[in-house]
Amino acid sequence: MSSIESEYRTFIGIEIHIQLTTNTKVFCSCPVGFGEEPNTNVCPICLGYPGVLPALNEEALFKAYRVATALNCKLSSSTVFERKNYFYPDMPKNYQISQYLHPIGMDGKIEFPYHDEVRSVRIHDVHLEEDAGKMIHAGDISLIDYNRAGTPLLEIVTEPDLTSGDETEAFIQYFRRFVRYLEVCDGNMEEGSLRCDANISLNYPGGGLGTKVEVKNLNSSRFVRLALDHERQRQAKLLTEGSPIQQETRLWNENRDITVVMRRKEESHDYRYFPEPDLPPFRPTPEYLESVHKKNVELPLQRMQRFKKDYGLEGEALSFLTEEKSRAVFFEATLALIPERNSAAGNGAAGEVYRWLSGDVLRHLNRSHLSLETSFLTPERFAELISLINSGRIHGKIAKQILHAVFVEDKDPTRLLEEKGLEQITDPEEIRSLVKKIITQNPAAATQAAAQVAAGENKVVGFFMGLLMKASSGRSDPQLTRSILLEEFSKKE
Amino acid sequence: MDTRELYTTASLAQLSLSDAEAETLSREISRMLEHFARMREIDVDSLEPTTHTFSKVNRLRTDAKENGERLSHMTDSLLHNAPELEDRFIVIPNVL
Amino acid sequence: MFRERKSYWKSVLKSQEKIEEYAVAVRHTDRRIGAFLEFDPQRVPPKAAEDSPLKGLPIAVKDNIAVEGFGLSCGSKMLSNVRSPYTATAVYKLQEAGMGIVGKTNLDEFGMGSSTDNSALLRTHNPWDTSRVAGGSSGGSAAAVAAGLVPAALGSDTGGSIRQPASFCGIYGLKPTYGSVSRFGLVAYASSLEGIGVVSESLSLTRSIFKTMRDEDQHDQTTGLAQVPEKPVKSIGVLAQTHIEGLSPALQRAYFTSIDEFKKLGYDIQEVQLPTLDYVIPAYYTIASAEASANLARYAGIRYGHQNSLAEDPQELMESSRDEGFGPEVKLRILLGTYVLRSGFQEQYYIRAQKIRTALRSDFDAIFRSVDLLLSPTFPVQAFQHDSSDLDQFQQKLADRFTATANLAGIPALAFPVAIEDGLPAGMQLMAPMHAEEMLFKTAETYQQAFRPVLPEFVQPTISAPQGVDHE
Ligand SMILES: [Mg+2]
Ligand SMILES: [Zn+2]
Repeated sequence: MSSIESEYRTFIGIEIHIQLTTNTKVFCSCPVGFGEEPNTNVCPICLGYPGVLPALNEEALFKAYRVATALNCKLSSSTVFERKNYFYPDMPKNYQISQYLHPIGMDGKIEFPYHDEVRSVRIHDVHLEEDAGKMIHAGDISLIDYNRAGTPLLEIVTEPDLTSGDETEAFIQYFRRFVRYLEVCDGNMEEGSLRCDANISLNYPGGGLGTKVEVKNLNSSRFVRLALDHERQRQAKLLTEGSPIQQETRLWNENRDITVVMRRKEESHDYRYFPEPDLPPFRPTPEYLESVHKKNVELPLQRMQRFKKDYGLEGEALSFLTEEKSRAVFFEATLALIPERNSAAGNGAAGEVYRWLSGDVLRHLNRSHLSLETSFLTPERFAELISLINSGRIHGKIAKQILHAVFVEDKDPTRLLEEKGLEQITDPEEIRSLVKKIITQNPAAATQAAAQVAAGENKVVGFFMGLLMKASSGRSDPQLTRSILLEEFSKKE
Repeated sequence: MDTRELYTTASLAQLSLSDAEAETLSREISRMLEHFARMREIDVDSLEPTTHTFSKVNRLRTDAKENGERLSHMTDSLLHNAPELEDRFIVIPNVL
Repeated sequence: MFRERKSYWKSVLKSQEKIEEYAVAVRHTDRRIGAFLEFDPQRVPPKAAEDSPLKGLPIAVKDNIAVEGFGLSCGSKMLSNVRSPYTATAVYKLQEAGMGIVGKTNLDEFGMGSSTDNSALLRTHNPWDTSRVAGGSSGGSAAAVAAGLVPAALGSDTGGSIRQPASFCGIYGLKPTYGSVSRFGLVAYASSLEGIGVVSESLSLTRSIFKTMRDEDQHDQTTGLAQVPEKPVKSIGVLAQTHIEGLSPALQRAYFTSIDEFKKLGYDIQEVQLPTLDYVIPAYYTIASAEASANLARYAGIRYGHQNSLAEDPQELMESSRDEGFGPEVKLRILLGTYVLRSGFQEQYYIRAQKIRTALRSDFDAIFRSVDLLLSPTFPVQAFQHDSSDLDQFQQKLADRFTATANLAGIPALAFPVAIEDGLPAGMQLMAPMHAEEMLFKTAETYQQAFRPVLPEFVQPTISAPQGVDHE
């Protein structure tokens, strides 16, 4: 590896296809779905019947503009769809409606975190197109399902600014977070909502780009890393041997962990792009662009930087809290409701919210297959719970019980606290009378304990603490109980 | 148009031509292309191409199923036209 | 007299008995003509509709326009077994107005031709002389009307496919403004050039049908209407002599007669220049073939249509199904269109053709600044013989130059009968600015004072209308 790094420069670019989340397909009104019965979400339009015409979905276009804007692209003053012509059995019209000369956006840029740095990748273009169906190969036949055909796809093409498999994997993971923050794609790589192809070339320093090899069939970000690392080794070996690198398309074989040739340059397609006569061009008006900008969101990197600055978060806590937008929003909404937030203990509150979120809350959500948006826990209830702890009205164990009850019973923590009589006992006299009662009930153990306390051995107190918590149903303030116990034992001596 | 160009074009168009067909077609295509060459006589370099004759732009469809009302509930009649079906899948041969 | 004809057409679908009587008569006549690929007036019962001028009238539809319940063969072996699962918007609107779709008419395969002899399924004869073609590609629709089988039929016009057969058969043929009638359900040949239109024995019926179909359609985002100010037609442009060489003597006579008649009717006739006319055919066929090469790619024997069941892999399946399913003219245009779009050739052919289109449109802008309408022959000759040796496929293409100009420019044009010469009808066309169809109707209506369309003699005994066939 290290020798490759010093001898060669690596240039990696990727093409990401994301399925935009819309109710209906991009050019017809069929519902968009995953895992339905084959050929049920189809109509004459998405099956490419004779005589049908596409009708552009407003929402798909709008989301495409939002992505292009978030990627700092120059937006075309007139965006034009074109036909990309090639034959493939799962492509109903044997051309794909896509964009070529006038895509939605061009010349953009995206920044992403890589270890402790911020890296930047240039965007060549962002264009809107339609997805194809799916083929299942079964022996000497193939089965075709066109449910996916016509799903809106946004293709994002980067410049070759990435330099390693590891960096590319990090970029894709970040990009996934990016589109989820924008709420334009669910980012699910297994279901194919986010797919990517890569291209890679190596050259001696100062030699510019090398001969480009495309790599396809990268169904997870891990495969992206493995395939690119493999391809980097393969090309470096060829260059070192003095053998030429073929311009070709290769497929990642996940069973053998290698790339294999799919087609050579000579076999490459001539797509014969030309403007789609069935769709008028779209010329965004200033009002339209204004409405796109209005929907701008804070991107994951910006949010990370702000959380670091505002709440002093870093490392695991920072990445956990910014992983999902819903989580980050929930975190901040909760924090805003905790009065101590800006006090010296402010960072403490952030830390506390993080610990609860990444601990008990996450466990509950996973167990019940719920999300922060769908569960009964709201930022208000969560903040209330933490305030109850901070004000000393409950302690950790009780808090856990109440949190559980919130998830199950859909009630506010204070109400649950009252209903269940779980409020912490903080009145010293009440605790003292409990202590006295326990001591009376266990005279022998008490005498022994008193002797030990006198000898400076405080460990034995634990046994009485247990008894006391049991007697108070866990409500007795632990700190106070402990000191009163010690006090009573010393009196006894 | 020479035979090599004709076959390259035919393969892009997913047509496999018999020799007899290729001969006739290459003759007729050449005749048309010769006629097309006449387009060189007129100076249109400064003009923008007209790819669409209509004047309305920015036509969009709302993202709702109701838009397709006239076309919904017909998935079965769509599949009836398929030459080969298996459990709602459309079937084609595959190379083993 | 003409009212009688209209009430005849209103009666044919009135009762079970009438329908059966009508069906027998049509089947009998059509054995000689070959207009219909499918005829079944009972297949899709007319919808209950408000009282409209179209209510209860039968209409035939070219078999490249979708009507649920009927086939959608496009005159091709490729689609001869397909049943249409849906209905074209334009047809749907006529059904809503109470018209009854009685059958599907023959055409040149996928609309590619000027004779209907390129149909892979049936040969259509001209009702005026069955040794002659009815024209094309909407030859079945025009023949059905001229033979008195329907009062009107829908056709499609990509480069003259409505107007040329209308003139060959002595009837009216309207190619509307591009985008004024939805193309949804019209099987695409050349998307940026074509549209659905009407052939009819009656000008008023042509107008009513057009007005009923004309609308923006959410299924066709290239539709768009515009209101043009109503203005009386005062001047008519005619092409300079150099533009109209090569007319047959009969057609030349008819052309000059029509100019004279317009003068007599008080129109100001002015000679105009259309400098780009010489480039219309190469530009038109470049664009049409290019679009066709993509439009016809979907026919590959997988989801519907002809399939070679012996193929052993997807590639072979698609190739051999296309080989077997398409006729020679279709293959020619697909190959030509694929070629002009290939990288390295696109600039000199496809893009150049689109620039010529820009030039043609500005020529028309200039013409319509000086005259209200433009008159030209529809086609240089009258209906020709089947398998004619004096007009091969290539020459037929060159002869589209008058009609194809309107398609390149997107403007409306109406073919109308002006004379019977040598026992055959002769037709001219009027072209108007975008959305000014009404000017065409008004002017053709005035022309009826000079000549009223007639149907061939054998139709006369059934419905007598010796001087003309129009409805009101
Ligand atoms: Mg793509
Ligand atoms: Zn659909």
